Amino acid sequence: MPSDPLLRWLCLGCGFSYDEALGLPEHGIPPGTRWRDIPEDWACPDCGTPKHAFEMVQLPYASEAEASGLVP
Amino acid sequence: MTETFVIRAAERGFDRLTAKDNPTYVSGHPDGFITRHSSFNFHEYQSGRAGFGHIRVFGDEVFTGAGTGYSMHPHHNFIICAFVLDGRLTHLNTLGHIDELGRDDFYAFSAGSGGQHCEVNIRADNMNAIYLWMVPDALYHQPGYQLGHFDRATQGNRLVQLIGPEPGAIPIPQQIRVSRLITDQAGIFEYHPASPAHGVYTFVVEGEAACEDLVLRRRDSAGITGAETIRIETGAGPADLLLVETAM
Repeated sequence: MPSDPLLRWLCLGCGFSYDEALGLPEHGIPPGTRWRDIPEDWACPDCGTPKHAFEMVQLPYASEAEASGLVP
Repeated sequence: MTETFVIRAAERGFDRLTAKDNPTYVSGHPDGFITRHSSFNFHEYQSGRAGFGHIRVFGDEVFTGAGTGYSMHPHHNFIICAFVLDGRLTHLNTLGHIDELGRDDFYAFSAGSGGQHCEVNIRADNMNAIYLWMVPDALYHQPGYQLGHFDRATQGNRLVQLIGPEPGAIPIPQQIRVSRLITDQAGIFEYHPASPAHGVYTFVVEGEAACEDLVLRRRDSAGITGAETIRIETGAGPADLLLVETAM
């Protein structure tokens, strides 16, 4: 069944990243949780920046980028 | 086709932070304060443009009052640079460094998979620095930190790359190059982006200069995208410019 790709989001206050594929199990958010399903009053666990000040980013992990040769 | 925007000094976002109002974030005496003039936007925190290419923050900050600064706080992913213009900045980080940076010193901190740092002015004189935050090319790089210094005696009256791939510059994991031009004589300088598709953000720290046909005065800035060459003309008086080239 086709589905939207899982996305990654970056906190503009500190750079903390939220990955929909990974969730944040240590903060009660299971893997696979979509950004839109996280409550609007949720804030960055590291710096308290509100959810709406996160930016969606299309970035690989450095380990993936190295494996694909994208980063020298 | 080139695209251009101009941000005049007075059009920048402004914020004033105190230890009294932000006791966990801002260090120092309750009467100390940080002023932050921002060219770009942190969403609701500041006004202005949302960013430029991979740049998210270009902040002109002054720490006033001994002990004033940012208490130890965490970062991931962002590449953070500070270019000290005046005074002294004490910088501690979890990569194991404790440095005091003076005028023309700068650092590049790639937070990558995570790190913490603390930045404080421990002196009685004000500390003024330009802060630059950039989105990296990948998440969770191995954290990195390097110091650099611009040497007025040998690097004046030419464009000098501070951050980027050139020998002597600090490499970072993003298609960004930061250069500085300090002049004390009239001159014409041509900046060549690595690609015409890149944007170049030119900020006048001191003095004035013409960037293409735009006259920029102290703390004015301009972003130009789509140019093969950016022409900068300085006058006889002293001028100090920072140029940030970014992939878009």
